[in-house]
Amino acid sequence: MRVMNIIHDSVVDGEGLRTVIFFAGCPHFCPGCHNPASWNIRNGIEMSVEEVVQEVASNPLTDVTLSGGEPFFQAKEVAEVAKRLKDLGKHIWAYSGYTLEQLIDAEDVHQRELLSYCDVLVDGPFILAKKDLTLSFRGSSNQRIIDLHKIDVPLEKASL
Amino acid sequence: MHTHIETEDMLLQSLDDIVYASNQDLIQENANVDGQSPMGQMSKFGSEAAKHYAKQKMLSTDVSQAIADNFIHPHDLDFMPTGTTTCCQIPLGKILKDGFNTGHGYMREPNDIGSAMALASIIFQSNQNMQHGGQSYPMFDFDLAPYVYKTFLKHKKRLTNYVTRYTSIEIATIAWHETDRDVYQACEAFVHNCNSMHSRGGGQVPFVSINYGTDTSMEGRLVMKNILLATKAGLGNGETPIFPIQIFKMKKGVNFEPDEPNYDLYQLALETTAKRLFPNFSFIDSTFNYPYYDGSPESEVAYMGCRTRVMANRHGDETGVQRGNLSFTSLNLVKMALLTTSETAFFEKLDHYMTLAIKQLLERYQFQAKKQAQHFSFLYGQQVWKDSDQLEASDQLTDVLKHGTLSIGFIGLAEALVALTGEHHGESDEAYQLGYRIVEHMRMFVDLAAERYDLNFSLIATPAEGLSGKFTKNDQAVFGKIPRVTDRNYYTNSYHVPVYYKIRAFDKIKKEGAFHKLCNGGHISYIECDGDVSKNTKALDTLIKTMSMNDFGYGSINHPVDRCTCCGYTGIIDNECPKCHNNDQEKVERIRRITGYLVGDMKKWNSAKRAEESQRVKHQTSSKDTKQ
Repeated sequence: MRVMNIIHDSVVDGEGLRTVIFFAGCPHFCPGCHNPASWNIRNGIEMSVEEVVQEVASNPLTDVTLSGGEPFFQAKEVAEVAKRLKDLGKHIWAYSGYTLEQLIDAEDVHQRELLSYCDVLVDGPFILAKKDLTLSFRGSSNQRIIDLHKIDVPLEKASL
Repeated sequence: MHTHIETEDMLLQSLDDIVYASNQDLIQENANVDGQSPMGQMSKFGSEAAKHYAKQKMLSTDVSQAIADNFIHPHDLDFMPTGTTTCCQIPLGKILKDGFNTGHGYMREPNDIGSAMALASIIFQSNQNMQHGGQSYPMFDFDLAPYVYKTFLKHKKRLTNYVTRYTSIEIATIAWHETDRDVYQACEAFVHNCNSMHSRGGGQVPFVSINYGTDTSMEGRLVMKNILLATKAGLGNGETPIFPIQIFKMKKGVNFEPDEPNYDLYQLALETTAKRLFPNFSFIDSTFNYPYYDGSPESEVAYMGCRTRVMANRHGDETGVQRGNLSFTSLNLVKMALLTTSETAFFEKLDHYMTLAIKQLLERYQFQAKKQAQHFSFLYGQQVWKDSDQLEASDQLTDVLKHGTLSIGFIGLAEALVALTGEHHGESDEAYQLGYRIVEHMRMFVDLAAERYDLNFSLIATPAEGLSGKFTKNDQAVFGKIPRVTDRNYYTNSYHVPVYYKIRAFDKIKKEGAFHKLCNGGHISYIECDGDVSKNTKALDTLIKTMSMNDFGYGSINHPVDRCTCCGYTGIIDNECPKCHNNDQEKVERIRRITGYLVGDMKKWNSAKRAEESQRVKHQTSSKDTKQ
């Protein structure tokens, strides 16, 4: 899979101390995006599932955030990463430009599977007109922080 | 040695620099002083002249030579001719209870929390003129709790006198409510006082610290809650208070877990530090602090300001209370490393300069010991210092000063290791092992000196502000800019992993934690966060708990706190204020911590510390460049 960067000890990408994996490639092209360089999947470096998992696992202090780019853009491999990290006991946040509803109804089974491994989803595109710096862990007010354990739809059913 | 004429010229040159305010590093050696104010300048004149006197008349020739050669540095040398000691943990409760005399009149025991806290400010102010370092209250919560109860009784009595239909339980509830409000106001006034009483030479406010966290009584908890809330609220326009330095004592069974009595105050402490950089956190359960703990508040470790720790005592009770550091002298490890070709040679040089530093500390102690109790009327006359009640005014201080510590400090372990091995202790295990052996060796040397002279010698992780730049500048003049050794404007503090080196928080905590137990005279480690942690206290909790697990004595978290002076917004301000879009940098106040103290305006920093701040790596690397 293509990865822009893996950053340890972030305090701004979810609650607690987190290791953040910034995946390359994003289909949303939100105006005002801070990092348009991540749109192009070729801008990242190629990493195997094992390499990504090893890097995250090497830090006993942090939980994990899947960010981007769009982590659901490479859902098949990212789901594999998420499954492995879940087995390690990591708590997982994911940032997506898709909404929760879009992901639940996604035709791509891997996107639904990836969602089932996440604990928290920050969803929706970044909307410049709704930009609000006072919000925690989000860029614009349309984006929601959703505890996936508290939603009605059973995500397991959506998965494989 | 310089000739007499040369040194006099040097003194006149320093005085010239002050008159024409031309040398930023001389004038802003210390960021808490406004070096351009009249009192700041007068203090600098005095300081330069006193330093000159100390060097010419009070130091042995070999010590003078080692100072001139840039190997050792006695701190606060300008105060040496006055015989002052560095710092003291003040027994607040005892002084309030017995009342005290400031020299112009007697203060009775206070009858409510407002008066008690007003007097707490006055005690700090009075004692500050007795010493050259910081002052601290080791058990702020326990010491003030009785006056909270007195306040409650007053309210209850007043309410009972009115004709009402309230039951006695309702009256008590109202009385507690009113007491709570009074405690907040008293705390608010205390914080304001700490930032406004310019009683220290040069127009500085006293360097004051308060330790608290473990009193589980209702009264003690009210003190802690309200001092935290008042700190969080900030000063008049919401400014971050620079003083007091606040130290939250962590103790298992008291404030670590959700079911423990002061867990809620720990959470409030996290919220406060996320906004104001204080409190810092100290750890009573660490392997080297716990042995002193016997369940009493006096036996809980208390730190002074930026790191000083006083616990062991060869001459009496092993507690921090009523004791302090007498003076400390730091070693330049980098220069020793640069002049040696082998580890053996390095250790030989280290022993040589440690011997000299110990000699110098002893000489200074002997001078301090000859002073009389009456020369420090508040410190000894009001029994701030241990056993001073046994002194007559004209008695010399020899016996009571034995309770104090004499500390050896060090700077630049990281750069010394690069000079010796090519890598520092953050980079390789081999360098780390050597670094550990060096510090362990220094500690053993200091312990032996304690045995030999029967005095409390200790090893301190030097809090270098002016010195980190001074050592480097002098070494650069000799060695030039050696890559990764002398090529920056500053040397790394004590055993710290360099601020410019990228290392994960976990690794930094693990590596630096091991040095805390070696530096028994004081230690602190910092973790740098980038980002607004006020929205993420859970991350701070993870860091504090990890510090505890890695045997920290004292730790703190740095993060940017900026304030827009146009609209009062407090948070991170990059190029413009996110609230009112002010982009005039003159109207953005950037609060940062240097060597343990907060400073409200980086313009007051000396060049070495400005360089250091600009190169700090944040462990919590911001994702703002990559996230939408």
